[in-house]
Amino acid sequence: MAALTDQIALTRTGASVRKKPGGIGDSLFRAASYGSAILVLLVLAGILASIAYGAWPAFETFGFGFITSSVWNIGQEQYGAFVAIVGTLASAFLALLIGVPLSLGIAVYLTQLCPGWARKPVSMTIELLASVPSIIYGMWGLFVFAPLFARFVQVPVSNLVEGMPIVGTLFYARVPSGVGILTAGFILAIMIVPFVASITRDMLDQIPTVLRESAYGIGCTTWEVVRHVLVPQASVSIIGAIMLGLGRALGETMAVTFVIGNANRLSGSVFDPGSTIASRIANEFNEADGLQLNSLMALGCILFVITFFVLIIARLLTRRAKVA
Amino acid sequence: MNAAPGIPAAQLTGRHKADETSPVRIAVKDLNFYYGSFHGLKSVNLNFHDRQVTALIGPSGCGKSTLLRTFNRIYSLYPEQRAEGEILLDGQNVLDPKIDLNELRSRIGMVFQKPTPFPMSIYDNVAFGLRLYEKLPKADLDVRVEESLRKAALWDEVKDKLKQSGMGLSGGQQQRLCIARTVAQRPEVILFDEPTSALDPISTGRIEELIEQLRSEFTIVIVTHNMQQAARISQFTAFMYLGELVEFGPTTRIFMNPEKRQTQDYITGRFG
Repeated sequence: MAALTDQIALTRTGASVRKKPGGIGDSLFRAASYGSAILVLLVLAGILASIAYGAWPAFETFGFGFITSSVWNIGQEQYGAFVAIVGTLASAFLALLIGVPLSLGIAVYLTQLCPGWARKPVSMTIELLASVPSIIYGMWGLFVFAPLFARFVQVPVSNLVEGMPIVGTLFYARVPSGVGILTAGFILAIMIVPFVASITRDMLDQIPTVLRESAYGIGCTTWEVVRHVLVPQASVSIIGAIMLGLGRALGETMAVTFVIGNANRLSGSVFDPGSTIASRIANEFNEADGLQLNSLMALGCILFVITFFVLIIARLLTRRAKVA
Repeated sequence: MNAAPGIPAAQLTGRHKADETSPVRIAVKDLNFYYGSFHGLKSVNLNFHDRQVTALIGPSGCGKSTLLRTFNRIYSLYPEQRAEGEILLDGQNVLDPKIDLNELRSRIGMVFQKPTPFPMSIYDNVAFGLRLYEKLPKADLDVRVEESLRKAALWDEVKDKLKQSGMGLSGGQQQRLCIARTVAQRPEVILFDEPTSALDPISTGRIEELIEQLRSEFTIVIVTHNMQQAARISQFTAFMYLGELVEFGPTTRIFMNPEKRQTQDYITGRFG
């Protein structure tokens, strides 16, 4: 026994190849990882600062009126963000209006109703939707969806509602071209569904089985279980998921630029073309200079502020859900 | 044979006397149960008497919870699980595919291993099940909610905060809330699936007292892995092992004088 201990002691002292901590490698690694973390912050701060700097002349010239004015006249150098802000919010809102019920439906189907063998393929298809590049959605929206939408929805609906109060404005297409705010809302809805649906599915999956069983156990139908127990139980996280989807819808550029029509006009109709902040920037950055460029930068600032707040709210909500 | 150690003889007498003349509420006939290809219950035959507490005991995996879960067919949420045979509730076969499952589950209440308050107020937790099956005016609903909370021995603790969330109660209170929710539907049978396994000893004691009180109105079946608990609160005990019913009888006899060797070994703690 004593011999064995000696032997171990010998091997430990004799054969140690370990370097002492605190050598050059360690401090290098430390510096590198600190550096990468700080770099991210620097890049973000740099982008922000330069955009704000670039935007400054526009804010200086137009003041608060930049946000409230709906004029965007390149010839007269008059710029206002109102139409783009409204278009951004309206198309994102329509996307949520269409996409959220769809996502909840998918999540409930996958977690409650779907037979075991179909679950994987359906889940994967939904997640594949998320990996389609947005330009594909844009192209498909413009060349395939818009003409069909114009022919089978805009024209008949416009004919039907013409002259009616409220709906006569809301659903009347002056030029039934198929592109417009609602078309953008549809395309955005398809794009946010994978996010909202898969997060909601995960949240519903996390609900303990006994809770679900006890809801069935007092005689609830599947609808009652979902409506009164499961969805309220996961509500905070579902709202967080919706906010993440909203963040994406607000910032989406390429697909929207294709299908929104890019008109600087404030219209009461969801069939009419409009623009969003992102689509305006994408359309004009190429030829912009002077005050126009400053105004585009200012649009970017506004978009950043909007999405920043949406993401913060989403984070707060999902974090609270995890703690609870 | 000797009585099970650790179970005072006093616990096995008096109020725990089984009433073998009580009518049969649930009759299980030649019940087989399968999880996919696994044979979970093997030809179980068993009668549950009206207004008596029947305890199902046995080692983990013996099928006692499985048996309980066939009575309200909660297992049918899972397509790979199926039951064969007959379970007669007042003469009506529960396993009949034509039976209205939701209505069945309002007649056979169930309380689970863990408290499962719904994400709504205390009041709504109790009223929720009621509203599903009865259209009651608000005043009547209030009366029924109070009555149910009283029966669950929870009224005094929650009467001033009925509008607060049920999730804010302690574990024991939550479990009594779940019992109130079940009682509110005025079921004929209440199934308890290890109702105290997640609770502290004091809460456990209160739930046991409650079960004793509920016996005057309901037929009760309780799955428990705690033999003392079975001895304390039940009139009848069924001992199960490896998916088979080994022995069934009045609790006093099962614990004092079991007929089968396996039962004797289990209640004296030689395995399980």
